[in-house]
Amino acid sequence: MAAINLSMGAAIVGAAESNEIGYPEERGEKVTSLQHHIQAIKNVSEYTGIPISDIEGIFSTGWSVELAEHLGIRPHYIDTTSVGGCSFEIHVHHALAAIASGIIDVAVVSHGEAGWSYRGAGGGGGGRGEMSPGAEMTMAYGTFGAPSQYAHAMVRHMHQYGSTVEDFAHISVVTREWAQKNPRALMFTDASQAEVKLGERTPNPFGGPITVQDVLDARIIAWPLTLFHCCLVTDHGGAVIVARPEIARSLRTNPVWIAGAGESMAHQNMLEMDDFTATSAARSSAIAYEMAGLGPQDMDMALIYDSFTVTAAITAEMLGLAPRGQGCRLWKDGDAAPGGRLPINTNGGGLSFNHSGMYGMQLLVEAYRQLSGTAEDGINGIEGKQTDSHTCVVNGTGGTLSTTGTLVLVSDD
Amino acid sequence: MAYNKPIPRKGQHNQPFWDGAKEGKLMLPRCTLCGKVHWYPRLICPSCHSTDLEWIEGSGEGRLHTFAVQHRAFGGWAEEVPYVTAYIDLNEGDRMMTVLRGVDPNKPEDIKIGAKVKVEFDQADDDTHIPFWRVVEE
Repeated sequence: MAAINLSMGAAIVGAAESNEIGYPEERGEKVTSLQHHIQAIKNVSEYTGIPISDIEGIFSTGWSVELAEHLGIRPHYIDTTSVGGCSFEIHVHHALAAIASGIIDVAVVSHGEAGWSYRGAGGGGGGRGEMSPGAEMTMAYGTFGAPSQYAHAMVRHMHQYGSTVEDFAHISVVTREWAQKNPRALMFTDASQAEVKLGERTPNPFGGPITVQDVLDARIIAWPLTLFHCCLVTDHGGAVIVARPEIARSLRTNPVWIAGAGESMAHQNMLEMDDFTATSAARSSAIAYEMAGLGPQDMDMALIYDSFTVTAAITAEMLGLAPRGQGCRLWKDGDAAPGGRLPINTNGGGLSFNHSGMYGMQLLVEAYRQLSGTAEDGINGIEGKQTDSHTCVVNGTGGTLSTTGTLVLVSDD
Repeated sequence: MAYNKPIPRKGQHNQPFWDGAKEGKLMLPRCTLCGKVHWYPRLICPSCHSTDLEWIEGSGEGRLHTFAVQHRAFGGWAEEVPYVTAYIDLNEGDRMMTVLRGVDPNKPEDIKIGAKVKVEFDQADDDTHIPFWRVVEE
C-alpha cells in the first residue's frame, strides 16, 4: 500500500475548545462560527506555547483561507477538506502526511460551528447551481435531515442481526453516564442539581441520568429513532496542533502520537449504500491499524462518532471492537461504560456532550485529553481524566454513513 | 388538489425516465457494454465506466430492502406524518428510494423486509409522474 510508513511521523501536541459551547445564545451570547474558530486556535496556541505565527499549515472545512487572513498568517500548506463530521480526522491524516514528508513542521486543525446559534440558517457551502443526479431521485420522498436517513440503517441492522431498539438504547444510557463526569456536557446534570454543579449555566431539562425506558419513551423522530437516540445540536469549536516529533518533544505539553491514520468513503447519497449495516470505517481503520502495527485488541479505549446510536454500534463493528451485528453489546454489557474494559466516548459523546453538526473535532479534543496525561490540569474547564488509556482508536463518520476517517493514537508511557 | 411536495428537476441524463413515467413505465438506465442496470441515472456506468448507456423498460417490481417511519417532516410532507420511507431492491438490480404504500406506519413491527413491491405513479405536474412503491401480495 503506502510506500512510506508515516506512523509516528507527527504528534498532536495540544487540543482546546472554543469558550462558549453548547447553547450560548440562551445566555445572550450569539457566537459566530468564526468566533469559535478563533477562540479555539487562540486557546490551543496558549496551551501549547506555540505562537500562532508559527503555524505553517492550516486545515479546516473550507475556512482555511479566511482563518489565515483573520489570524494574519500566511501558511504554505492549505487544506479545506469538507466531507462531513469526519473531516477533522482526515485533516489530521493529511497533516501527518504533510509533516512527515517535510513540507511543514506545525499544522493547526480548526473547527467552529454555530450549529445552535445559527440553526436553520442553512449550510455555508457554495451553491453549485444544480442538484446532484442522486439527489434528484430521492428529493421527492420526504426525508428531512440525518435522522430520517439513519433510521433506515438501524432497521436493516435489526432485521439482519436481530438487534433490538432496547439494545441500541443502552448506548444512549451509557454515554449519558459519561456525560455525568463532564461539567461541560450539555446533559451533565438535571435541573434539580443544577444550582450546585452548574453555577450560572442554564440546566438542560433533559439532563441527568437516563434509563433504557426513558430512551424508548422519548419523542419519536424517525422510527426506530427516538430523540434520545439522536445527537444534540449545539455550538462548538475546537482546535488541535499537529507538529513534527522534534518539536513535539520540546514543548511543555505532552505529545499524543499519530501511530496510524486512514480515510475512506462508501457513497454520498444513501441510495448508493450497498450494505446498510456497514461503513467505510472497515477500510479506513484497516489502513490505520496497518500503519500503526496495532489492532483493535490493542486499544485501551475508543472515541466513536455517535451522531445516532446506530452510528456508534455499526462503527464499533467496523473498527473490529465487536463482531458484526454485536456492536450494541459493548454498551449493554458495560464494557464501554465508566470502569469498563473498553471505555467509549468518555466526554459524553455527541449524544450527551455537544454536537455542532460536524462532531469530529470533539473526538480529537477528547482523545488528546484522555491520552496526554496532562488532562488533570484541565483543558477548557474539563478536569480529570476518566481512563488510564495509552492507546485509542478515533473514528469520525460524515454525511449519511458516507465518509470515514480513523486515527490510531498512542501516548508515551 | 395540487401536488404540494417537492418535485424533482429534470435534465438530459434522466429525461427518458420522466418520459416513461408519463406512460406508466419504469425506465431504467443500463450499460450496453457490461449490461448492468444502475440507479440513479448517470453520465457514466459506475461498474465498467463505459459512457455507452441505454434505457430499458423495467418490470416495476422489486423487494423491500429497508425502511423507516418518518414522524417529523416539513412542507407538504408534514401533513402526511407518520409515513414510511423505504429503499427498494429492483428486480433488475440496484436500488431505488421511495415512500412506501400498502403498509401501516403505526405498526412498523408488521412491515416485512423482503416483501414484494410494485411501482405506481402519481402525477405531480404536466411533466412529472413520480414513482411510488406499494407492498403487494406474493
